[in-house]
Amino acid sequence: MDLLKRWAARQFTTRVIVLMPVAIAINIVLGATVQQALKLPIYLDSIGTILVGVLAGPLAGALTGILANLIWGYLLPAPIGTSTIGPFFITAGVIGLLAGIWGQLGLFRPRRGGRASILAASIAVVLVGALALYTYARAYASPDQFVNITGFKTTDFDRSRIFFLAVMVVYVVLVGVALYLRRDVGAVLAIGAGLVTGIVAAIVSAPIAAIVYGGVTGSGTDALVAAFRAGGDSLYQATLKQGLLSDPMDKMITSFVVFFVIGSLSRRFVARFPNGEKAIGANTEAEIGANAASPG
Amino acid sequence: MTIAPPARLEGLPEYVTRRPGGFYRSTNPSTKLAIAALEVVAAFLVPGWPGPIAVLAAVLVTAAAARRLRGLATIGLAASPIVGSILIINLFLLPGASDPIVRLGPLAPTWTGLWFGLQTVARLYAFSAAIALVYLTTEIDDLLADLARRGLGRRAVFVVGAAVQMVPRTIERAAEIVDAQRARGMDTEGRFWRRARGVVPLAAPVVFGALTEVEERTIALEARAFSAPGRQTLLRVPPDRVADRALRWAAVLALVAIVGLRIAGRFG
Amino acid sequence: MAIELSAVSYRYAGASRPALQSVELRLEPGRVLGVVGANDSGKTTLCLVASGFAPKVVGGRLDGSVRIDGAETAAIPPHSLAQHCGLLFQNAATQLSNTTSTVFEEVGFGPCNLGLAVPEVIERVWWAMRSVGIEDLAPRDPARLSGGQGQLVALAAVLALRPRYLLLDEPTSELDPAGTALVADALARVAAETGTGIMIVEHKTDVLARIADEVVVLDGGSVAMSGAAAAVLADPRLAKLGVEPPARVRLERAVRTAGLEWSPGLERALA
Repeated sequence: MDLLKRWAARQFTTRVIVLMPVAIAINIVLGATVQQALKLPIYLDSIGTILVGVLAGPLAGALTGILANLIWGYLLPAPIGTSTIGPFFITAGVIGLLAGIWGQLGLFRPRRGGRASILAASIAVVLVGALALYTYARAYASPDQFVNITGFKTTDFDRSRIFFLAVMVVYVVLVGVALYLRRDVGAVLAIGAGLVTGIVAAIVSAPIAAIVYGGVTGSGTDALVAAFRAGGDSLYQATLKQGLLSDPMDKMITSFVVFFVIGSLSRRFVARFPNGEKAIGANTEAEIGANAASPG
Repeated sequence: MTIAPPARLEGLPEYVTRRPGGFYRSTNPSTKLAIAALEVVAAFLVPGWPGPIAVLAAVLVTAAAARRLRGLATIGLAASPIVGSILIINLFLLPGASDPIVRLGPLAPTWTGLWFGLQTVARLYAFSAAIALVYLTTEIDDLLADLARRGLGRRAVFVVGAAVQMVPRTIERAAEIVDAQRARGMDTEGRFWRRARGVVPLAAPVVFGALTEVEERTIALEARAFSAPGRQTLLRVPPDRVADRALRWAAVLALVAIVGLRIAGRFG
Repeated sequence: MAIELSAVSYRYAGASRPALQSVELRLEPGRVLGVVGANDSGKTTLCLVASGFAPKVVGGRLDGSVRIDGAETAAIPPHSLAQHCGLLFQNAATQLSNTTSTVFEEVGFGPCNLGLAVPEVIERVWWAMRSVGIEDLAPRDPARLSGGQGQLVALAAVLALRPRYLLLDEPTSELDPAGTALVADALARVAAETGTGIMIVEHKTDVLARIADEVVVLDGGSVAMSGAAAAVLADPRLAKLGVEPPARVRLERAVRTAGLEWSPGLERALA
């Protein structure tokens, strides 16, 4: 118990406490503008949450997400405040929690280098691609197999196949861009982590959307939910599918951006955060010395 | 030290201790939170119409007495897109509904769909209004101060308070950046690809500008003894009268009762 | 009773070269010490190290000894450091707590953090505001002040902790001449009337010419010159070290170069 308390306290240094409102504000401002600007289901409203999770740890990340949602939904006046985002604080908390775990595992660490690591990256991408193909082959071997594994209906077989491939394409494109711009192999892991986060987020959000809002959120994606339900899906299935269409993309792009942001910050700055060393792969433990002020 | 103390040292200045007046606005914030929690739970757990209708009635009456009806109406209006979606989707697409109102070619709105849709909308309005009422009748500073009095740590108070203050500032900064980028020729309308390219020059300065301040703010906070141990002194504390406390306890008990009844399946 | 730096070298975490090298410094209560130097000469680091916030809050490695009133800063927790040394930076906005809606509460933020009783908080707030001269700003919203007023509020907020020393890092650099004058006046008053030891890092040597007793020049992290303010600020080597001398000194040199005599009468006429 005491160990748990100390682990919790370690994540909430003064620096983290200062970062959190900044991250929350970033979440809200980007969330309110990016979707309007791009007119796509890409919100980037988890950038702050994932950033705090990677830099400070799972608890700090989760709390950032939860508070961001609650503040955005209930403490800000319209037009910024939006009435529908509040109950999804659970999803936001999960996203922050996962980001903290990815950060602990070092998945957002820059892994730059010469040809050797490009080679390693390509191998990694090939491996991931192989894994994806294997999953694809097994799940889509036959319509019955598909139903058994995913619980969806046979009519979804073709459409979801295309979508699965689309997600893979986006993944490869993002990784490619990262490799091209920065020669940074770490993108493979970071964006992969974003994909997993997106899937989990969709799964967690579906029941919330179904129970609280009957599956709709007043945005354009409601048409999709309607279409799914017209096709005979239950409420849960429809909202889950709608979530799976937008969340993985959004979280992959968000993780891509966070990965770039962390890579662009000075090592000095990042190193002072509780998870900072894992985020930059520092072996300058001795130099970091007396780390950030201990919590009061 | 040769500075003389001021003439009047009795107490806190009036602008710090001044309380908002008016019905419900002067009620203790935690009490209002408890009541809102009760209303949200009632709207969701009491099945059928009685729950949402009762909650909506209670909230509207309170809002009228507190002279906040217009604010409530604005928030209700802001929810119209989602309300519209809910009604339309349920009206036309509720699976398993087979009692059409009228047939319009391939579309067949159903009575069951209408019923279900209206109920969902009522629930949505009820719970949104309950929470909005707290927001409309309470200053955030007072709410945080009251929670701090009950033990909420200074760090949580800081995070929420600073976040609320920072959002408008970040928006202003983002607007400045957009203007600066536009002056440099960034296209904010136009084809998708160009707009997508425009996101990074907008998002990046906002994010980095906000992050670079973190270091200095951290030192500034520490320089104000932010990490001192123990509880911080509260200058601005909303009163907690007997009536407030009684109301709060009543709300909590009612909430527990509703949850219990629902679990026990007593709601038919 | 002083802040003493002995053979102090300091390196930020992950930095290749030290920001401070073998610095010896002494700041006594009631004195005003000016610090000048080119950019990157270590002036900000000096403030952080002398106050103890580096390495405690900022990380990095410190060699040598920094003692405040005899106690090593390494042994003092940050909230106690804040009560020994007040720290002020350039940007008034980042020093706001963002949690208060009146200047009164903003100035009281520090004492409230310490958990002092309400009467004591009130007394300290009024005392600090009087020292700086901002009692009429008390009911205002701290986020809606001018740059100069914001710095004064930050100064009062730091003074409310009753530190014996005050370390200021370019407090007037983002202010216009009116704001600069405001802050300089307040500092002069605080120094004269409260016996606080002040160390002020400044580019604007005119401010130092007015209020400093001694001046130290930093170059590349070490002390290049130190001595009485008037002497150091008139020293011809100043420009080579990247520091612009005060207006009066420049004027005097211009007059002498033009072949004229610099007399006290002329000085008074031009003042």
